[in-house]
Amino acid sequence: MPKPIISGYKIAATITFIYVLAGCEVDSSNNIPPVPDTGLVMYAEANLHESEETAQIAAAVYRDGVPVGLVGGDVFEARTGTQRVLLKDSGSYDGSYAAPLVLDVVQDVFLNIVHVPIEAREDRWYPVDLLNVDPGPGELVGKSATVSFPPAVTITGPASDDIYTGIDDIVDLSWVAIGAGDSMRVLSLVSCSDGLASSSYGTVVDIADDDGLEAVAMNRFIFDLDEGSPAVKFISDAAQALLQELLEQLSAGNIDPDFVARKVEANPVSSDCEIRLFLQRQRKGVFDASFDDGVVLGSRSAEVIVNYLSATPFN
Amino acid sequence: MSAFFQFLTFMLMVIMPVTVHAREVQLDASVLLTGMDAGGNDSFKSGKGVVLQYSYYLKQWLATDIGLFVSDQTYTDTNRDVVGDYRASIQTSSMLLGINPRHKFSAPYEVYGRLGVLYWQTELEVEEYFNESVPGGKTSATDTGAGYYVSLGGAHYINDRVVVQLEFRHMMQLDVFQGESDYPFDLRINALSLGFGYRF
Repeated sequence: MPKPIISGYKIAATITFIYVLAGCEVDSSNNIPPVPDTGLVMYAEANLHESEETAQIAAAVYRDGVPVGLVGGDVFEARTGTQRVLLKDSGSYDGSYAAPLVLDVVQDVFLNIVHVPIEAREDRWYPVDLLNVDPGPGELVGKSATVSFPPAVTITGPASDDIYTGIDDIVDLSWVAIGAGDSMRVLSLVSCSDGLASSSYGTVVDIADDDGLEAVAMNRFIFDLDEGSPAVKFISDAAQALLQELLEQLSAGNIDPDFVARKVEANPVSSDCEIRLFLQRQRKGVFDASFDDGVVLGSRSAEVIVNYLSATPFN
Repeated sequence: MSAFFQFLTFMLMVIMPVTVHAREVQLDASVLLTGMDAGGNDSFKSGKGVVLQYSYYLKQWLATDIGLFVSDQTYTDTNRDVVGDYRASIQTSSMLLGINPRHKFSAPYEVYGRLGVLYWQTELEVEEYFNESVPGGKTSATDTGAGYYVSLGGAHYINDRVVVQLEFRHMMQLDVFQGESDYPFDLRINALSLGFGYRF
């Protein structure tokens, strides 16, 4: 697989450095997934990136739009036929829990809220099997959801490291079509530099059909800071969190935690930009009937990197 | 009577008859600033303690030591994980038995060390807090066992009988809660002590 122009690690380090120097603006809006505002709602998401054997799992429960914390030994368990993990880490969404799960083969992931007072405390230093204030199982124990993965995404075009020079250029995105009723979208991570300043942000482009071809204008990824960004749909908090998790997985944690947050210092249209395109296929899963509603998604993704080179020289 | 105090009584019965006939004995009393480390992700705050030691001089440069170390209750920082907030604390006592070599430079200065075994009794307490609707609480457990200690100090004689001592101590309690739990640990206690000694 061709290497990106600049490695993700170097981009993260550069942006972190510039962010510290310039005090850039970071989107700090409430970061919860797109769940209904009322009732008891299950959220679960799992993404499996191309050639990766580890899926990133995240889950949360919301009551009337507010995260419900699992405490006292209640914890999400993600399980396949052969593997099992407890979601002990904080996820990217507020109130969510996350963990990587190794998948020997691609199969459904069963998420269940379990009460395991000793195992949940195993990261502590003292004898947790001897000293354990156990309040007993909470009301959410036993609730569950199942995440199903769609078929893998195989990108056939554009070629990696293709170069575009105008925002009206067309990126002919092509992939192996499946047409199984799954939804498709493109998440982009754009990193630009004009020689003095840099920018990074994410955009999202929804794709109507899983038909294997989508012509996407470069102005869905690159915009003119002076004229606004009418065609660009910036990545939402929810997609931002997912992309951030994926980047962390791909970089083994060596990534700025705000990497995907919008930081625009250099005008993208007059900069040189690396555009990482993540084509993602999503499939809805099922959640326990005891929930009022839910968002349960399994997704698989593939990546191609293209470059935008400014036609006008840097100032 | 606990095994700890049976051991203490036994040692006193053995040592005292020797010391009453000794020409040179020394009683040390020190206060300690302690740092505990149980391994893993613990984060103990500094604590306090006291130690009493009784030395019987076999030779001018070598004594045998018996002593008692008692720590204050020492807390960790409050931590948070997927279960909730928690804080642990340790209170420990140790019976010390060892040797105490000394080397006197030009009077009134002296350097000395201590090396020996210890018999400890340690209480571990854990407090947990979950949230407003799920009550937390406290729980504790006590264990006893063996370990060792080593220390290095410097002394300044104020007169023929009274000495001021500054000492760095390292005490190791081995296999705390071994056999009672699947998660035993070794407790390291490093301490800086300041005290007085009186030579009889």
